Amino acid sequence: MSLIQQALPAFLIGARNTLIYCFVSFPLALLLGLLLALMRSSRVAWFSSPAKIFIEVMRGTPIITQIFLIYYGIGAVLAVYNLSTIDNAWTAGIAVLALNYAAYEAEVYRAGFLSVEHGQTEAALSLGMTSGQNFFRIVLPQAIPLMIPPFVNDFIYMLKDSAIVYVISGTELTSVLQQWVFTHSSTPIPLYALAIVLYLLMSLPTSYVARWYERRLRAAL
Amino acid sequence: MQQTMTGVEPRTRSWLPVINALYYVVLAVAVLGFGYYLYRNLDLITLYLPFLLQAAGTTIGITVVSMVLAMIFGFIGALGRLSRFAPSRAIATVYVEVVRGTPILVQLLLWYFGIGQLLSKLGFDPYNLAFNFMTIFQSNSLVPIIFSAFFYGIIGLSFNYGAYLTEVFRAGIESVNKGQTEAALSLGMNSRQTMRHIVLPQAIRITIPPFTNYFITLVQDSALLSVLGVTELEQTIGSFAYPLLNPNQKLFVFILGAMIYFAICYPISLLARLLEGRFARAYQITGDKADMLTTDMLTSDMLGKQVVSFSEDEGNNK
Repeated sequence: MSLIQQALPAFLIGARNTLIYCFVSFPLALLLGLLLALMRSSRVAWFSSPAKIFIEVMRGTPIITQIFLIYYGIGAVLAVYNLSTIDNAWTAGIAVLALNYAAYEAEVYRAGFLSVEHGQTEAALSLGMTSGQNFFRIVLPQAIPLMIPPFVNDFIYMLKDSAIVYVISGTELTSVLQQWVFTHSSTPIPLYALAIVLYLLMSLPTSYVARWYERRLRAAL
Repeated sequence: MQQTMTGVEPRTRSWLPVINALYYVVLAVAVLGFGYYLYRNLDLITLYLPFLLQAAGTTIGITVVSMVLAMIFGFIGALGRLSRFAPSRAIATVYVEVVRGTPILVQLLLWYFGIGQLLSKLGFDPYNLAFNFMTIFQSNSLVPIIFSAFFYGIIGLSFNYGAYLTEVFRAGIESVNKGQTEAALSLGMNSRQTMRHIVLPQAIRITIPPFTNYFITLVQDSALLSVLGVTELEQTIGSFAYPLLNPNQKLFVFILGAMIYFAICYPISLLARLLEGRFARAYQITGDKADMLTTDMLTSDMLGKQVVSFSEDEGNNK
């Protein structure tokens, strides 16, 4: 169909932008998530309490509320100080995706750390290792293989959640889709079908890799 | 001796309780400061809060209706996934994979701007139907003009969550030991009786905990209906915030809205954790892993096994 052929280049650029959003935000989310998890597991209330509050708030509010708050709310305040150049769809989108997913990754990290038997930590500490040595040499290497499936799943969720930047006029696949739908409102369904196919091409292979890895992991355990 | 009775732990620093106490003092001051911030914007609160609370009621109503419809879709989907009839298995699998592989925002836009426009061209208009229906009760002015957006938005949400609930129901049904089904059948029950008296009561124990998580994510995803123009909480927040010129007031309205969402979702998440603590025995895992399962979903092959891993079957919001 010629409509799909016309739309395909723009849609592919949109898909590329989706992948850019995700490949930039996800590592940020992983790093921030590790930091949050370490803070949350600390016995010092100065670290654990703000981390808990951050995680609860990020998980308790919708991502669309967060992106409106950051793009329009904080953007309006930034405009007063002539800093509005740092407030565009890219930075706001990446910031919201990274912060929101950091909260979820922190829970995955914490679960991974708890899944390593406490007996390992007890043995390490009774052998004279410090907590830090215990963490990096004993707990973390055993936790990482268990945490990879949820991380890959969260990456797939982020691929889908990146569509949220449509509401702040981003240049992601959904924004391109709606642009084309509004200019070709007589036949929108082929455009939706094309966008759905592109999203499936991005998410299905990743989910099959995740399931394959998880099957191998469970067999090894 | 006392020392061998306690667990091995790092040396506790003696100044830790003092530091923690100091933190809680600072936290109390910060909370008071936030209360003062609310007090400074009291005029905005008294102006907007009633409308925001009304819209929050709409949001909860949308969530409840969508959840009920999603359970229906999910049940049909699970029966399809588990059916012996290959075409219905194929249709159900395509439904689950496609719906879970695409963003919910795209699906909502498809339902309203794609399928809705198509159906209205073919003569099916939800607003007119609702209007004519409510005329019988002489209350057709109760039907909002954007009723079509409500209609397709709720269908879109239910369709999406139905795919996730399909996997939850399938996992629950498959988690019941096959031996139970075999025993029931060998005792002379037919498969409908087996399902009703043996399988489903045990499956429900597995499926209840994820529901509270789905409810929370559904509340958050209902905010996406604002894109269709539905007057629920997020749309109301936006409509109040955009005309404000003072950036501090604008930011405050967004923060107020986020607080209302948090006030809805946080108690439910506490309830979810409570329920999971009670149902944790069904998973035969420790309490900590039950906490893990709040963030992730379970596949059918994972349930009933000692090793818990989290694969796709969505959960939170995430």
